[in-house]
Amino acid sequence: MVPYEFYVALSGLLMVLGLIGVIIRKNIIAMLISTELMLNSVNLAFVAFDMKLQDVSGQVFVFFILTIAAAEAAVGLGLIMAIYRLKKDVDVEKLTELKY
Amino acid sequence: MELDVIAFWSFAALAVISAFGVVFFKNIIYSVLSLISTLIMISGLFFSMGAELIGALQILIYAVAIVVFYVLVISTVPQYKGEAIDPKYFALSLPVGFLLFLELAYVSVYGAWASNTGIFTPEVLSEVGNVKAVSTILFSKYLFPFEVASLILLVAMIGAIVLGRKEQAMDEEEVK
Repeated sequence: MVPYEFYVALSGLLMVLGLIGVIIRKNIIAMLISTELMLNSVNLAFVAFDMKLQDVSGQVFVFFILTIAAAEAAVGLGLIMAIYRLKKDVDVEKLTELKY
Repeated sequence: MELDVIAFWSFAALAVISAFGVVFFKNIIYSVLSLISTLIMISGLFFSMGAELIGALQILIYAVAIVVFYVLVISTVPQYKGEAIDPKYFALSLPVGFLLFLELAYVSVYGAWASNTGIFTPEVLSEVGNVKAVSTILFSKYLFPFEVASLILLVAMIGAIVLGRKEQAMDEEEVK
Protein backbone atom coordinates (compact mmCIF):
# COMPACT_ATOMS: atom_id res chain seq x y z
CA MET A 1 0.00 0.00 0.00
CA VAL A 2 1.17 3.52 -0.78
CA PRO A 3 0.98 5.61 2.41
CA TYR A 4 -1.53 8.43 2.40
CA GLU A 5 1.15 11.07 2.97
CA PHE A 6 2.35 10.58 -0.61
CA TYR A 7 -1.11 11.37 -1.95
CA VAL A 8 -1.37 14.43 0.30
CA ALA A 9 2.07 15.65 -0.81
CA LEU A 10 1.06 15.23 -4.46
CA SER A 11 -2.13 17.16 -3.73
CA GLY A 12 -0.12 19.97 -2.14
CA LEU A 13 2.22 20.08 -5.14
CA LEU A 14 -0.70 20.36 -7.55
CA MET A 15 -2.28 23.07 -5.37
CA VAL A 16 0.95 25.11 -5.42
CA LEU A 17 1.24 24.70 -9.21
CA GLY A 18 -2.35 25.91 -9.61
CA LEU A 19 -1.65 28.93 -7.40
CA ILE A 20 1.47 29.78 -9.41
CA GLY A 21 -0.61 29.49 -12.56
CA VAL A 22 -3.24 31.89 -11.20
CA ILE A 23 -0.51 34.38 -10.25
CA ILE A 24 1.63 34.35 -13.38
CA ARG A 25 -0.75 33.81 -16.31
CA LYS A 26 -2.01 36.89 -18.15
CA ASN A 27 -4.78 35.23 -20.14
CA ILE A 28 -7.97 35.15 -18.06
CA ILE A 29 -9.03 31.75 -19.46
CA ALA A 30 -5.67 30.27 -18.39
CA MET A 31 -6.30 31.61 -14.87
CA LEU A 32 -9.64 29.76 -14.75
CA ILE A 33 -7.92 26.57 -15.96
CA SER A 34 -5.37 26.87 -13.13
CA THR A 35 -8.30 27.18 -10.71
CA GLU A 36 -9.56 23.82 -11.97
CA LEU A 37 -6.14 22.40 -11.11
CA MET A 38 -6.46 23.69 -7.54
CA LEU A 39 -9.97 22.20 -7.20
CA ASN A 40 -8.62 18.84 -8.35
CA SER A 41 -5.85 18.88 -5.79
CA VAL A 42 -8.48 19.40 -3.09
CA ASN A 43 -10.38 16.38 -4.43
CA LEU A 44 -7.23 14.30 -4.21
CA ALA A 45 -6.63 15.37 -0.60
CA PHE A 46 -10.24 14.54 0.36
CA VAL A 47 -10.00 11.00 -1.02
CA ALA A 48 -6.54 10.47 0.53
CA PHE A 49 -7.81 11.45 3.99
CA ASP A 50 -10.80 9.18 3.46
CA MET A 51 -8.41 6.31 2.88
CA LYS A 52 -6.57 7.12 6.09
CA LEU A 53 -9.55 7.86 8.32
CA GLN A 54 -11.62 4.93 6.97
CA ASP A 55 -14.62 7.01 6.05
CA VAL A 56 -16.50 7.92 2.85
CA SER A 57 -17.74 11.44 3.73
CA GLY A 58 -14.81 12.96 1.84
CA GLN A 59 -15.93 11.27 -1.35
CA VAL A 60 -19.39 12.80 -0.87
CA PHE A 61 -17.70 16.19 -0.61
CA VAL A 62 -15.74 15.45 -3.82
CA PHE A 63 -19.13 14.87 -5.45
CA PHE A 64 -20.26 18.34 -4.32
CA ILE A 65 -16.99 19.88 -5.51
CA LEU A 66 -17.58 18.37 -8.96
CA THR A 67 -21.03 19.99 -9.00
CA ILE A 68 -19.69 23.37 -7.92
CA ALA A 69 -16.84 23.15 -10.46
CA ALA A 70 -19.34 22.61 -13.26
CA ALA A 71 -21.38 25.60 -12.10
CA GLU A 72 -18.24 27.71 -11.71
CA ALA A 73 -17.01 26.83 -15.21
CA ALA A 74 -20.40 27.68 -16.74
CA VAL A 75 -20.74 31.05 -14.99
CA GLY A 76 -17.04 31.97 -15.31
CA LEU A 77 -16.87 31.23 -19.01
CA GLY A 78 -20.17 33.08 -19.54
CA LEU A 79 -18.59 36.08 -17.80
CA ILE A 80 -15.47 35.79 -19.99
CA MET A 81 -17.66 35.75 -23.10
CA ALA A 82 -19.50 38.87 -21.88
CA ILE A 83 -16.20 40.62 -21.08
CA TYR A 84 -14.79 39.67 -24.47
CA ARG A 85 -17.86 41.02 -26.24
CA LEU A 86 -17.52 44.33 -24.39
CA LYS A 87 -13.74 44.84 -24.42
CA LYS A 88 -12.53 42.57 -27.26
CA ASP A 89 -9.70 41.38 -24.97
CA VAL A 90 -8.87 38.63 -22.47
CA ASP A 91 -5.65 40.16 -21.09
CA VAL A 92 -5.97 40.78 -17.34
CA GLU A 93 -3.60 43.74 -17.55
CA LYS A 94 -6.15 45.60 -19.68
CA LEU A 95 -9.29 44.71 -17.72
CA THR A 96 -8.86 47.43 -15.09
CA GLU A 97 -12.28 49.13 -14.81
CA LEU A 98 -12.65 48.31 -11.12
CA LYS A 99 -9.17 49.61 -10.29
CA TYR A 100 -9.88 53.33 -10.74
CA MET B 1 7.33 -4.11 -6.43
CA GLU B 2 3.61 -4.13 -5.89
CA LEU B 3 1.22 -3.08 -8.61
CA ASP B 4 -0.39 -0.17 -6.72
CA VAL B 5 3.03 1.35 -5.97
CA ILE B 6 3.89 1.31 -9.70
CA ALA B 7 0.43 2.75 -10.46
CA PHE B 8 0.87 5.54 -7.92
CA TRP B 9 4.30 6.63 -9.13
CA SER B 10 3.43 6.55 -12.83
CA PHE B 11 0.09 8.37 -12.37
CA ALA B 12 1.67 10.92 -10.00
CA ALA B 13 4.62 11.65 -12.31
CA LEU B 14 2.36 12.09 -15.34
CA ALA B 15 -0.05 14.28 -13.32
CA VAL B 16 2.75 16.60 -12.19
CA ILE B 17 4.28 16.83 -15.67
CA SER B 18 0.86 17.62 -17.16
CA ALA B 19 0.23 20.20 -14.43
CA PHE B 20 3.48 21.95 -15.38
CA GLY B 21 2.16 21.94 -18.94
CA VAL B 22 -1.11 23.55 -17.80
CA VAL B 23 0.75 26.35 -16.07
CA PHE B 24 3.57 27.03 -18.54
CA PHE B 25 2.28 26.32 -22.07
CA LYS B 26 1.98 29.49 -24.11
CA ASN B 27 -0.78 28.24 -26.39
CA ILE B 28 -4.03 27.96 -24.44
CA ILE B 29 -5.22 24.90 -26.40
CA TYR B 30 -2.12 22.99 -25.24
CA SER B 31 -2.95 24.05 -21.67
CA VAL B 32 -6.45 22.60 -21.98
CA LEU B 33 -5.12 19.34 -23.44
CA SER B 34 -2.65 19.09 -20.54
CA LEU B 35 -5.56 19.71 -18.17
CA ILE B 36 -7.39 16.71 -19.69
CA SER B 37 -4.26 14.60 -19.12
CA THR B 38 -3.99 15.77 -15.49
CA LEU B 39 -7.66 15.02 -14.83
CA ILE B 40 -7.41 11.50 -16.25
CA MET B 41 -4.28 10.82 -14.19
CA ILE B 42 -6.01 12.06 -11.01
CA SER B 43 -8.94 9.80 -11.85
CA GLY B 44 -6.48 6.92 -12.09
CA LEU B 45 -5.19 7.85 -8.62
CA PHE B 46 -8.79 7.74 -7.33
CA PHE B 47 -9.16 4.25 -8.76
CA SER B 48 -5.90 3.17 -7.14
CA MET B 49 -7.19 4.50 -3.78
CA GLY B 50 -10.36 2.43 -4.12
CA ALA B 51 -12.77 5.30 -4.85
CA GLU B 52 -14.34 3.93 -8.02
CA LEU B 53 -17.47 6.12 -8.06
CA ILE B 54 -15.49 9.35 -7.75
CA GLY B 55 -12.96 8.20 -10.36
CA ALA B 56 -15.71 7.51 -12.89
CA LEU B 57 -17.47 10.80 -12.10
CA GLN B 58 -14.15 12.63 -12.47
CA ILE B 59 -13.77 11.37 -16.04
CA LEU B 60 -17.45 11.94 -16.88
CA ILE B 61 -17.93 15.43 -15.44
CA TYR B 62 -14.45 16.97 -15.47
CA ALA B 63 -12.58 15.42 -18.37
CA VAL B 64 -15.62 15.51 -20.66
CA ALA B 65 -18.17 18.14 -19.68
CA ILE B 66 -16.09 20.95 -18.19
CA VAL B 67 -13.25 20.66 -20.72
CA VAL B 68 -15.80 20.87 -23.55
CA PHE B 69 -16.96 24.19 -22.03
CA TYR B 70 -13.40 25.49 -22.16
CA VAL B 71 -12.74 24.29 -25.70
CA LEU B 72 -15.97 25.91 -26.93
CA VAL B 73 -15.14 29.27 -25.33
CA ILE B 74 -11.54 29.17 -26.59
CA SER B 75 -12.80 28.49 -30.10
CA THR B 76 -14.95 31.66 -30.00
CA VAL B 77 -12.28 33.94 -28.50
CA PRO B 78 -9.48 34.67 -31.04
CA GLN B 79 -5.99 33.49 -30.25
CA TYR B 80 -4.30 35.44 -27.47
CA LYS B 81 -1.30 37.20 -28.97
CA GLY B 82 0.37 38.69 -25.88
CA GLU B 83 2.93 37.23 -23.51
CA ALA B 84 1.72 34.10 -21.73
CA ILE B 85 3.64 34.56 -18.46
CA ASP B 86 4.22 37.73 -16.49
CA PRO B 87 7.93 37.59 -15.48
CA LYS B 88 7.59 40.16 -12.68
CA TYR B 89 5.04 37.97 -10.86
CA PHE B 90 6.92 34.74 -11.56
CA ALA B 91 9.71 35.50 -9.05
CA LEU B 92 7.08 36.53 -6.49
CA SER B 93 4.97 33.41 -6.94
CA LEU B 94 7.72 30.89 -6.06
CA PRO B 95 8.18 31.86 -2.36
CA VAL B 96 4.42 32.27 -1.95
CA GLY B 97 3.88 28.79 -3.37
CA PHE B 98 6.59 27.33 -1.13
CA LEU B 99 5.02 28.92 1.96
CA LEU B 100 1.62 27.56 0.96
CA PHE B 101 3.12 24.09 0.53
CA LEU B 102 4.71 24.22 4.00
CA GLU B 103 1.43 25.36 5.51
CA LEU B 104 -0.53 22.60 3.77
CA ALA B 105 2.02 20.01 4.90
CA TYR B 106 1.82 21.22 8.51
CA VAL B 107 -1.98 21.21 8.60
CA SER B 108 -2.39 17.83 6.91
CA VAL B 109 0.26 16.01 8.93
CA TYR B 110 -0.73 17.36 12.36
CA GLY B 111 -4.46 17.79 11.73
CA ALA B 112 -5.38 14.38 10.40
CA TRP B 113 -4.11 12.50 13.44
CA ALA B 114 -6.53 14.36 15.67
CA SER B 115 -9.59 13.39 13.63
CA ASN B 116 -11.95 10.57 14.47
CA THR B 117 -11.89 7.51 12.26
CA GLY B 118 -15.09 6.46 10.51
CA ILE B 119 -16.94 3.17 10.40
CA PHE B 120 -15.94 2.13 6.87
CA THR B 121 -12.98 -0.12 7.59
CA PRO B 122 -11.51 -2.13 4.67
CA GLU B 123 -13.52 -5.17 5.76
CA VAL B 124 -16.83 -3.27 5.59
CA LEU B 125 -15.87 -1.70 2.26
CA SER B 126 -14.96 -5.05 0.73
CA GLU B 127 -18.37 -6.34 1.84
CA VAL B 128 -20.64 -3.54 0.58
CA GLY B 129 -18.44 -1.93 -2.09
CA ASN B 130 -17.37 1.67 -2.51
CA VAL B 131 -20.33 2.81 -4.63
CA LYS B 132 -22.92 1.54 -2.16
CA ALA B 133 -21.08 3.05 0.81
CA VAL B 134 -20.78 6.50 -0.81
CA SER B 135 -24.39 6.56 -2.00
CA THR B 136 -25.70 5.44 1.38
CA ILE B 137 -23.99 8.38 3.06
CA LEU B 138 -24.94 10.75 0.22
CA PHE B 139 -28.66 9.95 0.34
CA SER B 140 -29.01 9.77 4.13
CA LYS B 141 -26.69 12.18 5.96
CA TYR B 142 -26.07 14.58 3.08
CA LEU B 143 -29.52 14.52 1.42
CA PHE B 144 -30.23 18.23 1.96
CA PRO B 145 -26.87 19.44 0.53
CA PHE B 146 -27.55 17.14 -2.44
CA GLU B 147 -30.84 18.95 -3.13
CA VAL B 148 -29.13 22.34 -2.70
CA ALA B 149 -26.49 21.25 -5.24
CA SER B 150 -29.23 20.66 -7.80
CA LEU B 151 -30.55 24.18 -7.08
CA ILE B 152 -27.03 25.62 -7.56
CA LEU B 153 -26.77 23.87 -10.93
CA LEU B 154 -30.13 25.36 -11.98
CA VAL B 155 -29.02 28.86 -10.93
CA ALA B 156 -25.68 28.43 -12.76
CA MET B 157 -27.50 27.32 -15.91
CA ILE B 158 -29.84 30.34 -15.86
CA GLY B 159 -26.90 32.64 -15.07
CA ALA B 160 -24.80 31.28 -17.93
CA ILE B 161 -27.70 31.73 -20.37
CA VAL B 162 -28.35 35.32 -19.22
CA LEU B 163 -24.64 36.25 -19.30
CA GLY B 164 -23.94 34.62 -22.66
CA ARG B 165 -27.02 36.02 -24.43
CA LYS B 166 -26.57 38.79 -26.96
CA GLU B 167 -28.43 42.04 -26.35
CA GLN B 168 -31.16 41.51 -28.93
CA ALA B 169 -32.80 44.95 -28.69
CA MET B 170 -29.50 46.83 -29.06
CA ASP B 171 -28.53 44.83 -32.15
CA GLU B 172 -31.83 45.56 -33.88
CA GLU B 173 -31.45 49.30 -33.28
CA GLU B 174 -27.92 49.22 -34.67
CA VAL B 175 -29.23 47.52 -37.81
CA LYS B 176 -31.86 50.23 -38.31
